[in-house]
Amino acid sequence: MQLTLEFGGGLELLCESVKIHKVNVDPPNGTEKFIMKDLLTWVRTNLIKERPEMFMKGDSVRPGVLVLVNDCDWELSGQLDTTLEDKDVVVFISTLHGG
Amino acid sequence: MEEAVMKPTKKGGGRLCCICNLRRAALKRPKTLEQICRECFYEVFEEEIHQVIVDNQLFKPGERIAIGASGGKDSTVLACVLAELNRRHNYGLDLFLLSVDEGITGYRDDSLETVKRNEVQYGLPLKIVSYKDLYGWTMDEIVKMIGLKNNCTFCGVFRRQALDRGASLLKVDKVATGHNADDIAETVLLNILRGDIARLSRCTSIVTGEDGPIPRCKPFKYTYEKEIVMYAYFKRLDYFSTECIYSPNAYRGFAREFIKDLERIRPRAILDIIKSGEDFRISTSTKMPEQGTCERCGYISSQKWCKACVLLEGLNRGLPKMGIGRSSRGLNNDPKKDKDMKQSNGTKSIENKQCGSLDF
Amino acid sequence: MACDSSTCQSNSGCYKREEEPISSKSSDSSQQSLCVKCKVNEPVSGTSDDGRFCRECFRSNLYGKFKLAVTSNAMITPSDNLLVAFSGGSSSRVVLQFVHEMQQHARKNFDASKDRSLPVFGVGVAFIDESAYHSVPSYEIDKAIEEIRSIISNLDPPAKQLHVVPIENVFSLDSLDGRERLKTLVDSISDATGKEDLLLYLRMLALQKVASENGYNRLVLGLCTSRIACHVITATVKGQGYSLPADIQYVDARWEIPVVLPLRDCLAPELNMLCHLDGLKTLEFSNGPCSGINGLVSSFVKLLQGENPSRECTIVRTAGKLTPFHFNRIPELNDSNVPLATRRRQKRFNLKPSESISSASFCPLCFSPLSKSDLLSLSNIESCQNYDILDAACCSSCRFQIFPKDPSSVEHFLSVLPQPLLARAKNCSNGNYSSRRKQILDCLLSESEDET
Repeated sequence: MQLTLEFGGGLELLCESVKIHKVNVDPPNGTEKFIMKDLLTWVRTNLIKERPEMFMKGDSVRPGVLVLVNDCDWELSGQLDTTLEDKDVVVFISTLHGG
Repeated sequence: MEEAVMKPTKKGGGRLCCICNLRRAALKRPKTLEQICRECFYEVFEEEIHQVIVDNQLFKPGERIAIGASGGKDSTVLACVLAELNRRHNYGLDLFLLSVDEGITGYRDDSLETVKRNEVQYGLPLKIVSYKDLYGWTMDEIVKMIGLKNNCTFCGVFRRQALDRGASLLKVDKVATGHNADDIAETVLLNILRGDIARLSRCTSIVTGEDGPIPRCKPFKYTYEKEIVMYAYFKRLDYFSTECIYSPNAYRGFAREFIKDLERIRPRAILDIIKSGEDFRISTSTKMPEQGTCERCGYISSQKWCKACVLLEGLNRGLPKMGIGRSSRGLNNDPKKDKDMKQSNGTKSIENKQCGSLDF
Repeated sequence: MACDSSTCQSNSGCYKREEEPISSKSSDSSQQSLCVKCKVNEPVSGTSDDGRFCRECFRSNLYGKFKLAVTSNAMITPSDNLLVAFSGGSSSRVVLQFVHEMQQHARKNFDASKDRSLPVFGVGVAFIDESAYHSVPSYEIDKAIEEIRSIISNLDPPAKQLHVVPIENVFSLDSLDGRERLKTLVDSISDATGKEDLLLYLRMLALQKVASENGYNRLVLGLCTSRIACHVITATVKGQGYSLPADIQYVDARWEIPVVLPLRDCLAPELNMLCHLDGLKTLEFSNGPCSGINGLVSSFVKLLQGENPSRECTIVRTAGKLTPFHFNRIPELNDSNVPLATRRRQKRFNLKPSESISSASFCPLCFSPLSKSDLLSLSNIESCQNYDILDAACCSSCRFQIFPKDPSSVEHFLSVLPQPLLARAKNCSNGNYSSRRKQILDCLLSESEDET
């Protein structure tokens, strides 16, 4: 499954200043669906190179990080339970940087 | 450029906007928990700010207004929205962008490029005042001399004054800053945590410094940071979001984290904190420092010399610790001032305020 | 500066501790082999003072803070009859102990005095049994009550009466129905923080009731600096900035039985330490951790306190500078039976009337004074549906987190609400409400009476 991940608002600094990542992910063993929760774990392991605490807190994103799935606030699609599909675009924006 | 990549949704949700009932909802408003589409969001976002401006009489027709512009999200959105509202509602304002160049290579020079693009994008004349021109020192030079301790004190004092000087060069009537509801809620909490009752009573005012040279106002006082960032994202606004190289990691303290945690379980808490701040029963007899003018530069000061001049004198005499902390030597030997200095010192982690923004 | 950073414990206007916690600590600890006060004994470790005091000095310092709070606010006069609210935690255990010691002392003086003009104040203890809501097994609660009984009976005479009060007593006399009703009421609230807060309000109601029915004239709570600091932040976060100063003064006489907080200047770790040192028995209830806003705030304050040990004091000090209400003092005694010395002392420590602004209206649910904006929204209500009046009479915080948002569930909510809370809504009708609204309220009250 191919996803486009975009990091903004300073989060790109945690992944070597690359804003847009085209990635291939697969549902965890024994499951069919790939949900946001799986994606966060994947991102943390594979993309975040420094200060992971700026991106995550517990098993969700750090409060203050906005998440959009196909340009829609993830608070509308079930947050961690949002099911992802091929070619989806997921955007993470930190609100914590700069004014 | 407002045309975003909009993929037809295949998500089960795809709920409709609760305002227009036509388009797919794109976000959940923290203020009202309404699910609204992008177009309705632009509309309510802008009109709420218009309402705040009207209700609080922030501007009068014909006024010259400087927008404190750092290139960050808040000031970029402020410039965009004020330019639009000025057109739409015939405010009759002359708007300007006012930026401060602290002289930080790799940080401010980049963000100023953003502001310069904003100048073109919104058609607003830009004025940049630099520390180098005003004080003879760039932040790079200051840090070279004093190191990374207390550098934020210098920067904060200098920036505050630089903005006033820039504003008077532009001959504006008022400066509008991008402080949002999250910022103000954070300040209320910090003032409680520090025991600063005088600031606690002032920090929720939408207009400040009316007794000073140039009043400042905060049109985003009731605007959630989340909505500002969403607005900037949906409109593909060009903003700069890198932390200051001299205070990395320090940009937000415990209080900010707490506010974000609160917002997650009860979004209205941010407005409730502001309401508390407005409602606090603080006796008006709390003494305010008497305002005079600095003998050296003529800037408002409650002391013989203003803070910037004290700090500058220290730099120029090679005694950079002068004016920092309790043991300030010479010049203003006034215990009251010492206390002021300590409060702006901000060396404790709780008081780490975001640097690199227009933070007054 | 007015006080030495190493000995100043008061949170009244001392800035020094806050500013240099690090240097004062390091310079102290280098020569820290003896108690800083008596300079004879070895200090105890583990207190929030980082072992500056020996056991005796630590104890007398803590008692001193209690006594100063009591005397400077005229909390206790010889003719008083105090009810100590006892939860089993270390704060209430210490406040019980200190009140008891003060009573012993007064008794000694009474026995020694010739004319025996000053009587000795009376002390009773109340334990609110909240098992109706926090499903604690009954054998556990019975055991706890037995232990409380033994704590109280082991105190030297005069004997203190223990009132064990089920929280459902706030309803009517038939507490069989009460248990169910309490559960229904609390379960009808969707907001987790609202549930917790309503239970707090009901607890106070239960304490007021038992105090009033048994002839007590003061209610003593063990609230300490740490708890008050959390309250300052939670109240701010809930938008209760206006009413906040009412809750955090030494005296709160808005209630029928005035409430006093003699441990306002003591920190939780100090109280825990004292219980540990003196072997004062405390009880733990598994009520579960606070959730929602209250839980978030208490972990936030804990974090701050860890970063700077004087943070809680600073928070309480800041809030202490907010202007208190006229009821934040013991009401003036004009009774000629009260000794002149007592009255004089009271006058001296009372707040100046000019500092207070009177506030006539209170939120019927949390009983906090209503701000202008709350009152304004009340007078703006034009519709005359039953529930609007109570809804609008609430403070904005209760309206959000306790009052039902769905109009259809309001009738039910009102029907399970304890009578005194409804009566309060009626009482606050002297002022900004039109007579028509008063009538609506009367009608509402009689209806709900019919139902019960």
